[in-house]
Amino acid sequence: MSASAKLAVAPGSSTAYQSGDWRSEQPLYRDKWPPCSQTCPAAEDIQAWLALASDQQWQAAWRTLTERNPFPATMGRICYHPCESGCNRKHLDSAVNIHGMERYLGDLAIAEGWQHKLLTEISQSQRIAVVGAGPAGLSCAFQLARRGYPVTIFDAQSTPGGTLSSGIPDYRLPKSVLQGEIDAILALGVQLKLNTRIGIEISADSLREDFDAVFLAVGALQPRTYPDDGYGSHSVMSGVDFLRRINAGESLSLPKHVAVIGGGNTAIDAARCARRLGAEVTVVCPQDPHGSHHHQQGTEMPASLREVVEAETEGVNFRYRAGVRRLVRSGEHLSGIEVARVDQVHDRHGHFNPLLFEGTEELVPAGLAVFAIGQEADWYGLEDLSQAGEKSGVWIGGDAAGKPRLAASAVGSGYQAAMSIIATLKDESFVSDTHKKAQIIFKQMQLHYYPKQPRREGEINQQRLTGFDEVNKGLVDGDAEHEAGRCLSCGVCFECDNCWHFCPDAAVIKKESGYEIDYDYCKGCGICAQECPCGHIDMKPVAE
Amino acid sequence: MDKRDPFRHNVLTSGHRACSGCGEAMAARMVTDLIGPDAIYVNATGCLQVFTTHNQQSAWQAPWIHSVFANAAAVASGVEAALRAKGKETPVVVQAGDGGTFDIGLQCLSGMIERGHDVLFVCYDNEAYMNTGVQRSSSTPHAVRTTTSPPGRLSQGKHHLKKDVISIIAAHHLPYAATATVAYFPDLKAKVEKAMTIKGPRFLHILSPCPLGWEHDSALSVTVSRLAVETGLFPLVELEHGELTGVMRLAAQRPVEEYLRPQGRFKHLFGSKEGAVELRHLQALADARIRRYGLLSADTEWDTESVAQVQRHGRGGYVSAPQEMDDER
Amino acid sequence: MKKLLEGSQAVAEAVRLCRPQVVAAYPITPQTHIIERLAQHVADGELAAEFINAESEFGAASIVLGAVAAGARAFTATASQGLLLMTEVLYNIAGMRLPVVMVCANRAVGAPINIFSDHQDSMALRDAGWIQIYVESNQEAADSLIQAYRIAEVCELPVMVCMDGFFLTHTFEPVDLPSQAMVDGYLPAFRFARTLDPTQPMTLGGGSEADNYQEFRVAQHHTMENAQTVIEAFDADFGEQFGRTYGGLVQDYRLAGADTVLLGLGSLMGAVRDVVDRLRDQGQAVGALRLRCFRPFPAQALIEQLRAAQRIIVLEKAFSAGAGGIVAIELRAALQQAGITTTVDSVIGGLGGRDLTPEVIEAIIRGAKPDEHEATCRFAPDHIAPDNINSGEASHG
Repeated sequence: MSASAKLAVAPGSSTAYQSGDWRSEQPLYRDKWPPCSQTCPAAEDIQAWLALASDQQWQAAWRTLTERNPFPATMGRICYHPCESGCNRKHLDSAVNIHGMERYLGDLAIAEGWQHKLLTEISQSQRIAVVGAGPAGLSCAFQLARRGYPVTIFDAQSTPGGTLSSGIPDYRLPKSVLQGEIDAILALGVQLKLNTRIGIEISADSLREDFDAVFLAVGALQPRTYPDDGYGSHSVMSGVDFLRRINAGESLSLPKHVAVIGGGNTAIDAARCARRLGAEVTVVCPQDPHGSHHHQQGTEMPASLREVVEAETEGVNFRYRAGVRRLVRSGEHLSGIEVARVDQVHDRHGHFNPLLFEGTEELVPAGLAVFAIGQEADWYGLEDLSQAGEKSGVWIGGDAAGKPRLAASAVGSGYQAAMSIIATLKDESFVSDTHKKAQIIFKQMQLHYYPKQPRREGEINQQRLTGFDEVNKGLVDGDAEHEAGRCLSCGVCFECDNCWHFCPDAAVIKKESGYEIDYDYCKGCGICAQECPCGHIDMKPVAE
Repeated sequence: MDKRDPFRHNVLTSGHRACSGCGEAMAARMVTDLIGPDAIYVNATGCLQVFTTHNQQSAWQAPWIHSVFANAAAVASGVEAALRAKGKETPVVVQAGDGGTFDIGLQCLSGMIERGHDVLFVCYDNEAYMNTGVQRSSSTPHAVRTTTSPPGRLSQGKHHLKKDVISIIAAHHLPYAATATVAYFPDLKAKVEKAMTIKGPRFLHILSPCPLGWEHDSALSVTVSRLAVETGLFPLVELEHGELTGVMRLAAQRPVEEYLRPQGRFKHLFGSKEGAVELRHLQALADARIRRYGLLSADTEWDTESVAQVQRHGRGGYVSAPQEMDDER
Repeated sequence: MKKLLEGSQAVAEAVRLCRPQVVAAYPITPQTHIIERLAQHVADGELAAEFINAESEFGAASIVLGAVAAGARAFTATASQGLLLMTEVLYNIAGMRLPVVMVCANRAVGAPINIFSDHQDSMALRDAGWIQIYVESNQEAADSLIQAYRIAEVCELPVMVCMDGFFLTHTFEPVDLPSQAMVDGYLPAFRFARTLDPTQPMTLGGGSEADNYQEFRVAQHHTMENAQTVIEAFDADFGEQFGRTYGGLVQDYRLAGADTVLLGLGSLMGAVRDVVDRLRDQGQAVGALRLRCFRPFPAQALIEQLRAAQRIIVLEKAFSAGAGGIVAIELRAALQQAGITTTVDSVIGGLGGRDLTPEVIEAIIRGAKPDEHEATCRFAPDHIAPDNINSGEASHG
C-alpha cells in the first residue's frame, strides 16, 4: 500500500512506525539490593529510609527503618555498622554515616513520641511465648504483635533489655533511650513478665501447653569462669557481673588498680567503666591488637576497634598476647595477676584455651580482676526446650543461637524467627532473607555524577571520665538530611532524570513517580543504562 | 499528536529513523523541548531532516519546514520577516548539521546574521556528512577517517583542521553564540534558555556524537561527548557581540587518548609512527584550545564535574507540557 | 491615467499595489531598477513590507519561500545568472506548491557573460513547475503581475512574469496604473492552506519515496494543465475590471487568411506587427501570434490559431544546444499530435541582446523554407563571420 502524497504531513505521524523492532537488547528498570543491606544483620532497607530522610520525611523514614529494626536509637549508638563497610560511597569520598542517621531517627522518634502502627486490625488467636527481653526477644515480639499475634515475654531480670541493659554502660547507651524504644514496642500490646525464670517461677511444660510457639532468646550471659577459689568475690568477678552491677546502679568502690582479662567488647566495656570509677585499668588481652602484622588467622582481638581507641583515649592500658598464669593474693586481698606470653589462643580443638610460654611471667598489679573471657547461653530450666527444634514449635535466636554475637544480628534473628513462626502456624513455607546477596557494585555505577561532600559526624564529648554521660553526640538538625542525601541510592532509582533527558527516541516516559520504557520505540541503544548514576537499569538481550 | 509524556512535549517524538544511540536526535530533543512547540522550526537537509520526515511520516509536533541543504537560514529569514510584518512573535529556530552550517550553509547563515534576523540557529555537529555515508566536512577534526578522507598508504585521515566556526560566527558580532554538548544538559539548557531571551540572530553549536560515523558503541554517545569536553578538544564557550563572556572550566584535563580510543574513526592512529605524530598533534590542539580559552583557570560557577551532577527528583526539565490538549486536531 | 514609466518602475508600482509583506532580492542587471524602486517605497513608508537584501539570489528565493510558507505574500526579481543560481530553490517552491510570484528580467546566460536580453534564462527553468508568462510591454508587465498573484494563489503554483531586460525594464512607455481600490477588488488578501502556524502544526517538505513521489508530479502536471483555464479566465476578468486584456494564453494579430504566421514571445512582437502590416500592404497573407503563456504550454490554443497556416515560423530568443529552438520543438510536437503536418521553420535570433530590427524580421519571413538537409533550426541574423571562436583554436584577442 503506498503512502499517500501529502504536501503537509501530520505532526507526530511517525509514531505509526514502531522502531522498537530494531533492538537486539532492551533496558529494564530493576531495583537492586545494595551492599549496605546485604551486610546489615537486620536486613534493613537502608536505601529506602535514607531516601525518605533526605526528603525530610522523618516519620516515614523511621517507619521504614523500624520495619526490620525497632531499636534505631539503640543501634545508632552501639552497632558496629557493617553497613558502612559495605557502603559504595567509600569509593567516591567516604561511606554514608548510616549509623549516625539511624541514631538521629531513633532519637527523633523518642522525642516526638512516635508510636508503632499495627500492620493489621485482625487479631490472631495463636499465642507466642518469648523467653528473654533482650534485643532478639523484643524484636521477635515486635514483629509478631504488629501482625496481630498475642505475645508474652518472660525475663528473669527485673528490667527488660537483656545485655543492652545489663551489659552496656550508660556512656554508650543511656538507659532512658533504651527504655523509650522498649516502651514503644510494649505499647503494641506485648505482655511483659519480669522476674520470671523458666524452670522456677514457671515451668517449661506450661510454656509448651499455654503457647502455640516459643522463641528462646536468653542471650549468652553465662560467663566462662576462671578456676580460682576466690572467683565471685569482691576481688575476682566476671565481666558480665561487673557490668550488670554497674548498670543496675550499684555504686562500686574500686581499688586503685583493676585488671580486666579478655579481648572482647565485654572486656572493653568493663575497662572503660572502671576508668570512670577512678581506677587505673590494664586490659590483659590474650589476642593481638588490631592491625597487627604478626597475627595468625583468628587471633586478632574481637573487640571493635572503635571501642579500643576510645579506651586508649580514656587512659586504659593494654597488654596484648598476655594470659593469666595465676592470681597473686596478699591475705584476703588480691594484689596482682601474674601474666605470661600467650603462644596459642585456641587449642587444637579450636576452643578458647590459651597456652602460655614458661619463663615470660610478669606481675600486673590489681586489686580487682575482672574476667571477660567468654560467655555462653544459660539453659537452666530450658534444657529440653532448647533441644526441641522448630518442628516442635521452639525457635532459638540472638546470642543464645551462637555467633555472631552482635546486637543487630539479634534483632535480625528476632525478625526471621517471627516470620518463620507465622509461616509455620499458617502451614506455609518460609525462607530467611538475611544477608541476601547485593546486586550492585560500585563499578556498575557512574560515580562522577554524584557531588563530593564531606561526611557529617556527631560531636564527641571531650569531658569523658567525669561520669557516665554519653561520649558521642548525635547528628545535629541540618546535618541529618545532608548526610542522608549522600546516599548514592545504589541500584534504586532516585529520579535524577538522566535516562529521560538522554533517550534519543522519546522512549523513556516520565511519570508522576518514576519512568516507563515505551518498548514500541526503544531501539536498545543502551545509553539510559550507561548513564544511570546508580546502576538501576539493566540491558538484557531480546528473546529470539 | 503524541501526548504520552505529561512532563515533556516531545516536539521531536518517537518512531523516527535515527540510528540507535544518535547524539543528534538526543540533542534536538533537548533543544526543541526546551523551546517548546510554539515555535517554527526550519530544517536543513541532513540526518535530522531525513530521519524525522521519512516517506510521508513526521516525528515533529510543531510547525516545521524543510527546503534544501544550503538555505535553511535564508528560509528562516523569510519566515521571520513574514512574522514581523504580521506583528507575530512566534520564535523561529533553524536546525542544521555541520554541512548545512560550516560548508554549504555558511553563506545564507552569514547573511541572516548580518541582516540581524531574530532567529536562533542551532547546528548539530556530528563532524561529517553522516546522512550520505560519512563523508568529510570542514567540521571533521584533523586526522579523522571518513570515506572521503580515508587513511591509506599516503594519508593519516583528514589533513585539514576542524573549521573554527564559532569564531567565524562570533566575528559577525551577533548578540549570542555558544557551544554546548549533550553530556552537560544543565549547561545546554542554560544556553538555550539564555538564547531564547535575546532578540536578534543567535547561534548554538552543539557537538552531537554519531555512533555510526564515529564508530563507537551506541551506549557511549553521552560518554564520548563528555570526553570531548574534558580533553579540551571541544571547548564550551559563550561569545556575545564577539567577546568571550563565558567558558566551562575543566575540573581536570583528560589526555586526548581517552577520547580517541573508544572511537574507531581514530583507530588508524594507534600503532604506527605516522599515527603517533598525529596523536601528538591532536594533544597539542587540545592544549592550545585550553590555553586560548583559559579552560583550566577560568573563574566560573560551574565546572565539568559540578555541572552534570544529579539531584534526587531531577533538576527540572522543559517547557511545561500542556495539561489539556486540543483533541479536535 | 497614463504616465510615462520605465518598465522597472511600472513593475515596482504594480508590486506595491499587490501589498506584499516581504520583498527579498539580490541585485543583478537588468533587474536592479525594480528592486531599487521597491526599496525606496519601503523607505518612504509607501509599501508596508519587510525589504530584505539577500546575500545571493539563492538566498532571495529562499527568503520568499519562507515568507510565503509563513503566510505572507512575497516578491522577488532576478535575471540570468541569478535565476540559474536559484534553480534548486525554484524547483523546491514549485514542489511545495507555494504561490510565489517573481519577475525575471530576461537576460542572456554566461559564459560568455552578457548583460543584454534574451530568453535563455527563463527557458532553462521551463521544467521546474513554474507558470511562465512573457509580456510584451510595460503596461502588460504591470497588469500581468497583478494577475500573477491571483493565479498563483488560486492554483497554488508559483508564477514567473518574464519581461525583456533593457527593452522593457529600461525603456519608458505610457502605462496606466490602476488604483489601490481596483487592485484590492481584483486580488483578495493572501490565504494559504499550509501556513506554518503553531496552532495548526504541520510538516512541510518531508521525504518521499518511490511509492508516492510520482503522485506529487502527476498532481503538479494536471494542475499546470488546468491552469490554462484559470489564466484565460483571470485575464478576461482583468479585462472586465481594468479594461485591458492580453488574449489569455496567446494573442493573435491579423491571422485571418494568413498563410504564413510568425510565432514569437515578448517585446519583439511590436516590431513583428509592424512588419506584418507592411507585408500585408504588399499583399502578403502574413499574420503574427504572440505566445504569452509558455508554461503551461497552451497546445490547444496554439493549434486552433495555427491550424489554417501553411507556413509557421517560430522566432525565439533561446535554444537548446544540440537540439534546436525550444518553442519550435514543443510546437512541432503539438502539431504532430494533432495530425497537422505543417512544417515549422525554427529561427533563433536576438541572443545576447542582438537587435531584431524590422528589416531582420522581414528577411526572416521572406527567408527560404528550410531545406531537408539543413539543420532543424537556423540562426538570424548573421553578422560578419566570426573568427577564432571555435574551441581548440587559441585566441590572441
